[in-house]
Amino acid sequence: MEVTLLVNGIEHTIHVEPRRLLADVLRQDLGLFGTHLGCEHGVCGACTVLVDGEPTRSCLVFAVQMEGQEIETIEGIDPDDPVARAFKEAHGLQCGFCTPAFVLTVSHLLREDPDPDEETIREAISGNICRCTGYVNIVKAVRVAAASSAGE
Amino acid sequence: MLGQPIRRLEDDRLIFGRGRYLDDRNALGQYHLRLERSNVPNGRVVDIRVGEQAPLPRGALVVTGKDVDLAVHTIVDLPMAHEAPQPVLAGERVRFVGEPVVAVLHPDPYTVEDAAEAVTVDIEPHEPVTGILEALEPGSSRVHDDWPDNIHVRRIQRYGDLDAARAEANRSVRRVFRTNRQAGVPLENRGCLAVPEPDGRLTLWSSTQVPHLVRTYVAAELGMPEHSLRVVAPDVGGGFGVKGHVFGEEVLVAWLARELGAPVKWVEDRREHLLASIHGRDHLHAVEALVTDDGKVLGIRVQLLVDAGAYSVFPWSAGSDSGMAAKVLLGPYDIQHYEVEDIAVATNKCPLGTYRGVGRPSAVFTMERLMDEIGRELDLDPVEVRRRNVIRSFPYRTANGLPLDSGSYAESLDVIEREVDIPALRREQEGRSADSRAIGIGIALFNEQTAHGTPDFTPRRVPIESGYESVTVSMDAHGLVSVLTGLQSHGQSHETTFAQVAAHELRVPVESVRVQHGDTATSAYTVGTWGSRGAVLGGGATARAARRLRAKLFGIAAHELGVSTEDLELRDGGVGVRGKPDEVTMAQLGYWANRQVAKLPEGMEPGLHATVFLDGPERGTHSNSCHAAVVEVDRDTGKVRLLRYVVVEDCGVMINPMVVDGQVHGGVAQGIGSALLEESVYVEGGQPVSTTFMDYLLPSSQDVPHIEVHHLVTPSPLTEYGMKGMGEAGAIGPMAAVANAVADALGVFVQETPLRMHRVWELLEDHPPRWTFDRLVAVPTLAEFWKGDVDVRRT
Repeated sequence: MEVTLLVNGIEHTIHVEPRRLLADVLRQDLGLFGTHLGCEHGVCGACTVLVDGEPTRSCLVFAVQMEGQEIETIEGIDPDDPVARAFKEAHGLQCGFCTPAFVLTVSHLLREDPDPDEETIREAISGNICRCTGYVNIVKAVRVAAASSAGE
Repeated sequence: MLGQPIRRLEDDRLIFGRGRYLDDRNALGQYHLRLERSNVPNGRVVDIRVGEQAPLPRGALVVTGKDVDLAVHTIVDLPMAHEAPQPVLAGERVRFVGEPVVAVLHPDPYTVEDAAEAVTVDIEPHEPVTGILEALEPGSSRVHDDWPDNIHVRRIQRYGDLDAARAEANRSVRRVFRTNRQAGVPLENRGCLAVPEPDGRLTLWSSTQVPHLVRTYVAAELGMPEHSLRVVAPDVGGGFGVKGHVFGEEVLVAWLARELGAPVKWVEDRREHLLASIHGRDHLHAVEALVTDDGKVLGIRVQLLVDAGAYSVFPWSAGSDSGMAAKVLLGPYDIQHYEVEDIAVATNKCPLGTYRGVGRPSAVFTMERLMDEIGRELDLDPVEVRRRNVIRSFPYRTANGLPLDSGSYAESLDVIEREVDIPALRREQEGRSADSRAIGIGIALFNEQTAHGTPDFTPRRVPIESGYESVTVSMDAHGLVSVLTGLQSHGQSHETTFAQVAAHELRVPVESVRVQHGDTATSAYTVGTWGSRGAVLGGGATARAARRLRAKLFGIAAHELGVSTEDLELRDGGVGVRGKPDEVTMAQLGYWANRQVAKLPEGMEPGLHATVFLDGPERGTHSNSCHAAVVEVDRDTGKVRLLRYVVVEDCGVMINPMVVDGQVHGGVAQGIGSALLEESVYVEGGQPVSTTFMDYLLPSSQDVPHIEVHHLVTPSPLTEYGMKGMGEAGAIGPMAAVANAVADALGVFVQETPLRMHRVWELLEDHPPRWTFDRLVAVPTLAEFWKGDVDVRRT
């Protein structure tokens, strides 16, 4: 099937099998390897991208479902993005495999709630598994990002 | 520079999705490999048919155990040991659910899944061996037909005089403890990609912690010269010991690429990982403590049973978890009489391998639960009973000969007592006695042997024979520094911490140091990243290599400035003459040594390059920790919630405390998973059922509380800067601390982890412990060790 995907503001018209997952199209067809696959059954959250601004498991949707929707991956994040900078400042990552998805999830959270409390933060990131950090510094990174966004 | 919380140099790449993990790499013309795995735990492969259920897609290849005679062999050269090589593809026998049987290949990753559907494997099921005690029953079926029993390895060690301890003791406290099977679960699955060259060379990309060990094993198994094989670990999405093995898939993928003359790529899926990578823990301990009425433990006798699964893993063997537990069980306590038998049992389950902590989490669970049980019997507070037994002066030699270099065991108890405010919690606890939510406090005190050197490995008589790491430090013609190592950083932050060490020794900005790791083509032989050793030995080797380089830089500078090297000092970005403005820059020195070598003193070799091989201290250096968990247990549901988690960590001198804290946090979170959630369950008949993240529960941000970390700094006299390893410590304490807290909250005996809701529910319903001491020691195979008992009041 032919499908036109709008990814990070760029249109890609591609021919794909209907069964081809969005994650595989992003990674293997478009070379956007920052979207990672950790479980391929929708639990770990490592494949999270934003679809029309909403966090979406790219391992659970087909590329052909994405016609006309705006997809944002980690590659579309600005180098000065406050969330990305906060992950570095707060040591919110170790192996880095889950990190791009966390950055996108947290960006969504802070757009919805610019000053979340700890409970809200922990709830918002609970669909993303990190095996390295124990979440301590990820929660801290969200706080740092919220503070730096508020200061700007 | 050293000791500073420098922000990580690897972060920009990883945060923005520019890291390159195994599955982000493809080779032109590659085949994708899909493995069909056994769905029965024990059986005989009767028939493999292709095209019966679905047509085989064009271009697909099917390879079976008849086509390939390769295996992972782990020689264990001990008297009471058997060998259990695992074929890369099963031949006639399958021995666990998940064992690879058929390899299917196709250039398209979706089509190869279709092709796998076209393969039918008929397996005649045999009676499986499903658990430790079942395996030891006299009439049990055999995992390996040519063995006389189901025992991989069995060792007995006796130290001191247990009879004397028994004569002096007032009582004997006997318990059984069980830490159930779990998986390691790095978020990136395993995977490898082999790319053959026309001249016989091969590059094997693999998501591994041990690239040089992979090179040695795969080259030997394939009969190819080791110098023709290059192993590269790209960015690796977590390892935790799971990726510290050489796996059959690596051998198979390399072999297929050579046979086909084309690249072959295999990426594990999560189901395969949970079924058939390696599992961890799965200990059953029967322990007896000989104790005086004032709470002093005089002697320990313990039998350590580990379900090591069907095969023996490379290079650690099936006996590594039980052997480690036997070695370190006495922990931070002054107990001079010790008898231990460790038995690694074979069952029809996934092979057991090294997972963060390796034997120590289970050993600490037993020792620390036992301390609380002794305290309960004698009406002693948990902190007090530990104080009465803790080692206070160093160096100390344990009953089984481990030299403890230094530590702060008693001090860490003081800090925990102060930080947690136990008296206040006790008051709250009393106020809540009628509440549906009970609270409890649990502590775990332990030490950790880290960075152990070759003499700790050779007596194991298994293929991990050495304990050294190597690092090369070089300076280029612009004065920029490279650190090259065969260690692999998969979250440990070596790109930052090793740069800090080199920058400290050469007094250059940390940004001018670049660390490259994980590639056998650019590094000298290195055993790899495991065993809480990266900072101590990799960092230590970096320090020594940088100092060697510094000596040469001083030689060049002295020649140029017309002074003796003793008159020189390091300055920011250069070398100068003490008390004078005269200096040369690192850029000048780098240029002269690499490009303008006529500037060098006569006879000096060109170049700036130093390689150091650093073996660990003979029996390592021992870090120590005290963990405290405060829990709330819902009496109506059995749900355990962590209210606080406090860690006192002493890993000597730190390169980067931010990185150390991060390692503690992550380890504790994994330990909380071990304590409360994570379990690889096999149901009756030997079928594994924890094969997705819906069944195998990982801790989320709502399960792990904020983790408070406090530091004590007791330098090691044995290492560079006084560093001690700490990568595993976080994961070692939580099972014990959390279980002690639950026992404290409910006033019950807690035997097993993980404390999933149904287990806590059983505790609330006063179910008797699943395992009893008397039942265990009555098993004929186990009874021998317990002979010679004399009468001491038993509890």
